[in-house]
Amino acid sequence: MTAVPSRLERVYAQALRLYPATFRRTYADPMRQAFRDALSDDTLSRRRLVPLILRDLLTSLIKEHLAMLRETYARPALLFNALVLAGISTVLALALYVIPQQVLRTGADDPQVEMATNLAARLDFYGVNDGLRQGALLNTGTVDMAHSLSPFLIVYDDQGRALGSNAQLDGQTPVPPKGVFDYVRTHGEERVSWQPVYGSHAVRIAAVVERVNGPQPGFVLAGRSLREVEARTDHVQNLAGLAWLAMMGLIVVGTAVFGWVTRKRAIVAP
Amino acid sequence: MASGTASPTPLTPAVFAVLLALAEGDKHGYAIMKEARTREGGGVPMGPGTLYGTLDRLIRDGLVEETGVTDDERRRYYRLKALGRTTLAAELERLDAAVAAARSMGLLPNGGRS
Repeated sequence: MTAVPSRLERVYAQALRLYPATFRRTYADPMRQAFRDALSDDTLSRRRLVPLILRDLLTSLIKEHLAMLRETYARPALLFNALVLAGISTVLALALYVIPQQVLRTGADDPQVEMATNLAARLDFYGVNDGLRQGALLNTGTVDMAHSLSPFLIVYDDQGRALGSNAQLDGQTPVPPKGVFDYVRTHGEERVSWQPVYGSHAVRIAAVVERVNGPQPGFVLAGRSLREVEARTDHVQNLAGLAWLAMMGLIVVGTAVFGWVTRKRAIVAP
Repeated sequence: MASGTASPTPLTPAVFAVLLALAEGDKHGYAIMKEARTREGGGVPMGPGTLYGTLDRLIRDGLVEETGVTDDERRRYYRLKALGRTTLAAELERLDAAVAAARSMGLLPNGGRS
């Protein structure tokens, strides 16, 4: 005849449901039996048994759940696959950012290339001083470099001094670093991101610098604010970041599901 | 604990107490718990969760096995395997050396039980 379980035993049986399924399927019955044996042991008072069981439940539940997680997920093949996928996703997300960023940045030079090349060709023939006197920069309007998105032109002499310009920044014509002129002197052309003003009111310019040869050598700089391009680049960066986070999330969820589905199952003795 | 070899590292109190209890002979779960609770059995009070978690790992590591004998459908008996006995002997030797060292330092009385 089966004895009627006491209230404590019924509570303990419910508590056993908190163990991981694999462990519970294998050991719930013998654990319940051990608890029943403890209840009927005259040498073990209830005052000692209850705290012992509560402490045991707390520690062994944590231990068995951690062991279950370790066995389910700490498998080299599973972790290796997740790492490979994470690596591929990171490279893809980087490509999603770098490729459009490069296309946008190089595209920002397009009008300046044409403007600088055309003006340099004219000044090659006349010389920088004579060419400016003949109105090479006339009818182009004045561009406020701090606010305008319009392209502008600046002509420098061979020493890098500004001779003429249709652009102003705080009432002056800025001059790029000397190294730019040195490079253009030997290579003929340079395309740079130029930042004439730093700080909170920073201005960044996509600049194309062409060498003027001929009787009066010098340099032509065609520039345009990068403000709009950098706003688009930031947008692309945010999208690539979101894509990366989404891919990482998918990998985590996919690995968790795959690890759970392919975990070792308990072999219950017949 | 590496499977198939005696553990070179100190055993946890629960593992030590379970192996020591089974060294006397085959026992079921509560008999192991009861033995472990005594001073001679290691003085390790443990509940069913700790006991069966420990037994599960000892079975997987090849130190203990189920006998297959049962006197009740819920009461299973366990026995020590050769590897379990070797592991227990290694642990006892380690403890014995520590006790001998403690005696030589005067931390324990000579000749008597601590």
